[in-house]
Amino acid sequence: MAFTVPKEVYNGKINQVEVGKDQQVIFGGEEVLPFLSFEGKAVSNVPLALEIQDIDPGDWAPSLTDIYGPVMGNPAEWAKLCQDEFKADMICLRLTGTHPDNGDKSPEEAGKVVEAVLSAIKVPLIIFGSNHTEKDAAVIKHVAEVAANTGSIIGKAQEKNYKTFAAVATAYNHKLVALSDLDINLSKQLNILLTQSGFDGKNIIIDAMSSTLGYGLEYTYSVMERIRLSALQQNDAMMQMPMISDVGEVTWKIKEAKATEEEQPGWGAVEPRGILWESLAALSFLMAGGNLVVLRHPKALATIRKTVAEF
Amino acid sequence: MGLTGIQIFKYLPKTNCGDCKFPTCLAFAMRLAAAQVRLDACPHVSEEGKKILNEVSAPPVRLVKIGAGDRVIETGDETVLFRHEKKFNHPPGLALAIADNLSDQEIEQKVQEVNNSTMERVGQQLRVDLISLQDKSGDAARFSQVAKKVAGLSSAALILQSLKPETMKAALIETAARKPLIYAATQDNYSQMAALAKEYQTPLTVYSDQGLEALSDLVDKVTAAGVEDLVLDSGARSSGKMLSDLTQIRRAAIKKKFKSLGYPAIVFPGEGESDPLMEAVRAGIGIAKYASLIVLNSIRKEALLPLYTLRQNIYTDPQQPMQVAENLYKVGEPAADSPLLITTNFSLTYFIVLGEVENSKVPSWLLVADSEGLSVLTAWAADKFNAPKIAKLVKKQNIEEKIKHRNLIIPGYVSVLSGEIEEELPGWKVLVGPREAANLPKYLRDMA
Amino acid sequence: MLVIGERINVRTKLFAEAFKEKNFEPIEDMAIKQVKAGANMLDINIGPARKNGTELMPWLVENIQKVVDVPLALDTSNIEAIEAGLKVHKGKALINSTSADPERLALLMPLTAKYNAMIIGLTLATGGLPRDANERCALAAEIMASAAEHGVPMEDIYLDPIMVPINGQQEQIKEILEAIKMFREMNDPPMNSLIGLSNISNSAPEEMRSLINHTFLTMAITVGLTGAIVDTLDPGIINAVKTTSVILNQSLYCHSYLETC
Repeated sequence: MAFTVPKEVYNGKINQVEVGKDQQVIFGGEEVLPFLSFEGKAVSNVPLALEIQDIDPGDWAPSLTDIYGPVMGNPAEWAKLCQDEFKADMICLRLTGTHPDNGDKSPEEAGKVVEAVLSAIKVPLIIFGSNHTEKDAAVIKHVAEVAANTGSIIGKAQEKNYKTFAAVATAYNHKLVALSDLDINLSKQLNILLTQSGFDGKNIIIDAMSSTLGYGLEYTYSVMERIRLSALQQNDAMMQMPMISDVGEVTWKIKEAKATEEEQPGWGAVEPRGILWESLAALSFLMAGGNLVVLRHPKALATIRKTVAEF
Repeated sequence: MGLTGIQIFKYLPKTNCGDCKFPTCLAFAMRLAAAQVRLDACPHVSEEGKKILNEVSAPPVRLVKIGAGDRVIETGDETVLFRHEKKFNHPPGLALAIADNLSDQEIEQKVQEVNNSTMERVGQQLRVDLISLQDKSGDAARFSQVAKKVAGLSSAALILQSLKPETMKAALIETAARKPLIYAATQDNYSQMAALAKEYQTPLTVYSDQGLEALSDLVDKVTAAGVEDLVLDSGARSSGKMLSDLTQIRRAAIKKKFKSLGYPAIVFPGEGESDPLMEAVRAGIGIAKYASLIVLNSIRKEALLPLYTLRQNIYTDPQQPMQVAENLYKVGEPAADSPLLITTNFSLTYFIVLGEVENSKVPSWLLVADSEGLSVLTAWAADKFNAPKIAKLVKKQNIEEKIKHRNLIIPGYVSVLSGEIEEELPGWKVLVGPREAANLPKYLRDMA
Repeated sequence: MLVIGERINVRTKLFAEAFKEKNFEPIEDMAIKQVKAGANMLDINIGPARKNGTELMPWLVENIQKVVDVPLALDTSNIEAIEAGLKVHKGKALINSTSADPERLALLMPLTAKYNAMIIGLTLATGGLPRDANERCALAAEIMASAAEHGVPMEDIYLDPIMVPINGQQEQIKEILEAIKMFREMNDPPMNSLIGLSNISNSAPEEMRSLINHTFLTMAITVGLTGAIVDTLDPGIINAVKTTSVILNQSLYCHSYLETC
């Protein structure tokens, strides 16, 4: 038996999504498993976003505050730094200050931040709430309007608040991140609920819930692989959306990204350790079908960018 | 495994002698069909039966062992393309490359790094498993001398990297008992390298960078020469080619039953790459996608823990939750009046709860109960996390001596247990904690 | 086929209270209802019942068998409670259940033999949920070996391949069907098998449960299932049992076959 290249034949493909206004970014659209260009059309572009927040978070790891320190608390400057110096493909603005336990900023205050950030950058913007389903709905209603027709990404729609998100995403021409927690069936269900309510499935980005090395990575990894396989093999239109990996947030709060070498002598230097923790988590999700990644450390971004360029 | 348990049963002696440690031949046949036991566990299979069963029961990716004593590393023996289909069996071995033309002191230092590379996580000892000795000197005497020295300084498994048969032979003379992996047989030297592998009974790497068809042809020549324990190097040295070659090799073996590529694969993520971050990320590609051996140029501590953890995560059995040991854990420096919380020993639960308690900055005691690796709700439903067990654990861990107060914070999801726990632990008060771990920091801070 | 009614169950508030207060009325009511609907055995699930199992189980067994004439499945992890129930049970009881763990088998197989009962053998051991049909069969072989060792006839074993919810373990369902098929081949005469049917639709919306349940039941019976713990009050299920029986030529067709018992 002679060797023949073992190509898979797929029945479906991943939706391609376009975002941004001044500078447009395209992702998704592949017709094969991640980066397997030998068997068909693989994705060529994986946008990497850097995360900023509407307030000075106060509890970010030193490896991050050493870099962003001066601009944390000034979202427009922070966004500019990420775009100009660290070459982020997108900016991800997380409105943690709107969380009731974290300052409870109003939708109007959030809207001002969004406005300032939009004026400061040319790259596309991702706008996330604070993961308080009720407050997020109220906030997104306003900020989606503030950002009208900028081709932004808004999120995260969940089972409890998807109707509001869908309505404003449609009204103001945004793409929508749909979040479900590590459950492929609920992921599909949420996409069905969204499309049944009139939302265009081509504008959905799936968030299967990120995790990081040692804190449930394998659950996210396998759910993502299964989602991608059902999209390609079963031609399941409700699973053919591109996927987002929101890695920075879950990575940088753990002990392994923060503990100094004095505190943990066997663990090596803290900054490269954190960078690698974030990079390897992001890399593994790219292997599992991630099309868009949200990071915190600029060096993780650079390393992932260099890696993707090699595919 | 191609045959069903019933079909395998036909070839067994059917004496139920129990030598295989299973109660009946039928039970053994079923375990063999489930690939949970190897045929050689039964000493009484006929020669004919062995031939047929071995042929059919051979895993699509051959099992290749490297090393000796208690440092044998098993590679290959894989049956699925995705971990969620069943599980991946053998985590890839990590190797540190050591060039033989370094100074003796540098060599000793690097060997020490390997010897000190062990870290523990979730009850597993994780370490750099191999040392890959590279013939950069071009001097057979030097190479074999360094091989002997390294073998003496470390019990790690060895890879011997030289393309010169005479040099390889010199090193094998010193180290054959350690069953090192020979690297490598090429189009030019394969008959001599195959002869060495046969003579010294060690596994052999087959190298060709001329495409996978050329690689498989070369493999066929080597197996025709009588060597069966092989490792493959397709010469891929970029992220893209690594992913592509590893995927094609694994797919050919598993989906097409293409025996010529049915062997574990070795990768060199650091070759031609001076940035250790890039080397580590490329190693990550190998870990996720089908590499069996990963040779690194550097093993800095800050890279090892994330690589070990990624490897552990990808190679976890999806059906068997990882568990931490039942114990009373300190978070920060708790005092006798610090809060006491209890949770189950599913490793994910443990890490998440631990992380949130740490985030609260309130020093606390975390009592972890053995729930056979089930999460809080699942364990409670299966009656593996109940009041008598919790009470027993409190007594067993001598909590009443270590902690002044008598308040136990239980996970919000099992608030129904409050009354029962207080019954089983007279004098104790049960406080119902939050349902979501993310609310622990606020809960603990409000308590203080 | 063993059609076992599942409704008398400590997880239902009504019965949890009835058990606690020794109030037999709702229990009698449900026992009669289930048998009338077509159950030929009733499952009595008292849960772990650590405190009062040894008096609750025989009380239930004696009183239920006074009002219906069917054997019972004694559903608890409390072995002393099982024995107390077996002592007073009339006819051949079904012990629900043992796993494939050697410690459980060592306790429950002798009990099964002593009281000439039947027993459900779960193909589940400490290694987590079985991954595929082969693993289920490997555990089944060990259950069978233990039964043989303790003198329990093969016909008295009901192998349970562990039903999993379709929402969460979808890919396992084919393996379950395959396992039921393979169980039969493991002995001559073929081994009996049984599932806890409702678990397949565990987290599905209420209005979908009957369809998922009786469709799977039909498929399972086709590959050889001989017992199921079901909601006998769901006409969809009882009708599926009767219809498959007729289709498989196990009982004679007539236009009113649904009305026959």
